[in-house]
Amino acid sequence: MSIRFESVSKSFGTKKILDDVSFEVTRGEVLFILGKSGMGKSVTLKHIIGVFAPDAGKVFVDQYEVSAMTSGARMDDLTLVRQRCGMVFQHPALLDSLTNFENIAFGLRSKQYSQKIGRKLSEEEIRDVVLEKLSLVYLEPEILQLYPHEVSYGVQKRVSMARTLAPGPEYLLFDEPTTGLDPLSTSSINALISELSRKLKVTSIIVSHDMACALSIADQIMFLDQGKILLMAPPKEVISSAIPLVQDFFKETMELLPPDWSLEK
Amino acid sequence: MNIESKVTSAMEGTTHTLKAGVNTSFAVFVKTLEELGGSWIFFMRIIRTFRKTSGYKEAIIQQIAEVSTRTIGTVIFAGIFVGAILVLQFDVMLRRFDAQTLLGGLNTSATIREIGPMIISFLLAGKIGAFTTAELANMRVTEQIDAVESLGVSPIQYLIIPRFFAIVFSSVVLLAIGLSVSVVGSILVAQSFSGMNMYQYISSIPRFAGAWTIFEGLVRSIIFSTIVANTSTYKGYTASGGARGVGKAVTEAAIYINVYIVVANFISSSLLEWIHDLVYWFISLAERFFF
Repeated sequence: MSIRFESVSKSFGTKKILDDVSFEVTRGEVLFILGKSGMGKSVTLKHIIGVFAPDAGKVFVDQYEVSAMTSGARMDDLTLVRQRCGMVFQHPALLDSLTNFENIAFGLRSKQYSQKIGRKLSEEEIRDVVLEKLSLVYLEPEILQLYPHEVSYGVQKRVSMARTLAPGPEYLLFDEPTTGLDPLSTSSINALISELSRKLKVTSIIVSHDMACALSIADQIMFLDQGKILLMAPPKEVISSAIPLVQDFFKETMELLPPDWSLEK
Repeated sequence: MNIESKVTSAMEGTTHTLKAGVNTSFAVFVKTLEELGGSWIFFMRIIRTFRKTSGYKEAIIQQIAEVSTRTIGTVIFAGIFVGAILVLQFDVMLRRFDAQTLLGGLNTSATIREIGPMIISFLLAGKIGAFTTAELANMRVTEQIDAVESLGVSPIQYLIIPRFFAIVFSSVVLLAIGLSVSVVGSILVAQSFSGMNMYQYISSIPRFAGAWTIFEGLVRSIIFSTIVANTSTYKGYTASGGARGVGKAVTEAAIYINVYIVVANFISSSLLEWIHDLVYWFISLAERFFF
């Protein structure tokens, strides 16, 4: 049970975004992907759910080769893969025309979900799941009847997480989940990600700029630069790495951390 | 600089300008072909998904209600003037030949067959088309479409098909309403400005506007509605690049819809004329043999 990239390359126009990228995330692992903007971090995530297809190479989610599922009959298999992967986007990406309740229940009402569990959930069951996921992201039921534009950006992010968690994904993919948030909301979202990854014991891939969060949550940290993997290692090895970009990231992070900080904490 | 080098330099300049012109024209041609190809593939994708899946009734009805209520006022208001403009134009010309009695028939025929569907489709493109493109493009750039996809739901199924069929269906109905209103508008203007009485105007209509005219108007309405629906959903669905991308998608959708409608109008006019002749040839042949 894993997510595996085999020599994946992807270009947009003349710009090469991913260049022969290979890595594997095994079950239960938390992988952080770090790197400067525009280095292919989000593109890597979108390859996993088949939003992008690689120009060369293969992407596997468990036994499924996602990179070969972009058209025709294989689209049904892609739906199966997408149900295994829950993705939290950079923006909350909530559907404006639906209430927060309907947004969280969206995946549960789909025909594809009903096919997966072999039956259609009753309204009562949907409500129970929605309330359960809402409590996981520390939100009160009062926000359920409101529309996304009626709640704060931080709450929208949490609703978006609850929506992703609702169908019970086996893999969680976070695309810069703290972008646009104030420092307090950022630390609470980071704590939430850490808690969800551990509590739900799901494999998580988190794209971020937040080295401090990565050092405290990740099992593996991967640095992407110029479309290539610069380093993929556990946090301890990352701290001692001599690679300039990694050192720069670490130095910037150390300035923000309390003086008594250590990896063990 | 001697005369020879002046001529050489002028020739080089002309060649350069010509080359640039040819390159630009070629680029525009290639881009148009790309757009046409993209639209066609998107259209086939919609039809294929629609045929494979079911359960759209509720979503389509909801979209039809939204589209119709948003547009009907504009269509009625503009429809009155579509007929009125044509009455004034025809009246000037027919007066010269003392053939004002033909005004009702000519005007109604031209309104239903040609001008009505085209002008009202332009209106629908501005009203429904622009709204749909902007809505979908915004959903695309804020990753709402990706989110729908990531939850295992097909965006074509959930977002595009209800909008596509709602636009086609509502546009045909709105065109029918717009055309009816424009006929009424033309009667009112013919009475007020051209001094024709209502009976005289209406009595000349059957001479020029029969079942075939209505059929032509209906065929054109369906074609133009499909163009509005397909192009607006396609441009919205494939938008990229933030707020600027939304603006670009809406502008391009408006341009392409108008161009496609004008070209489709020309092609449909030629084809329908040809079909009309063929049908009447068969009818006359059948009459000769059987009666």
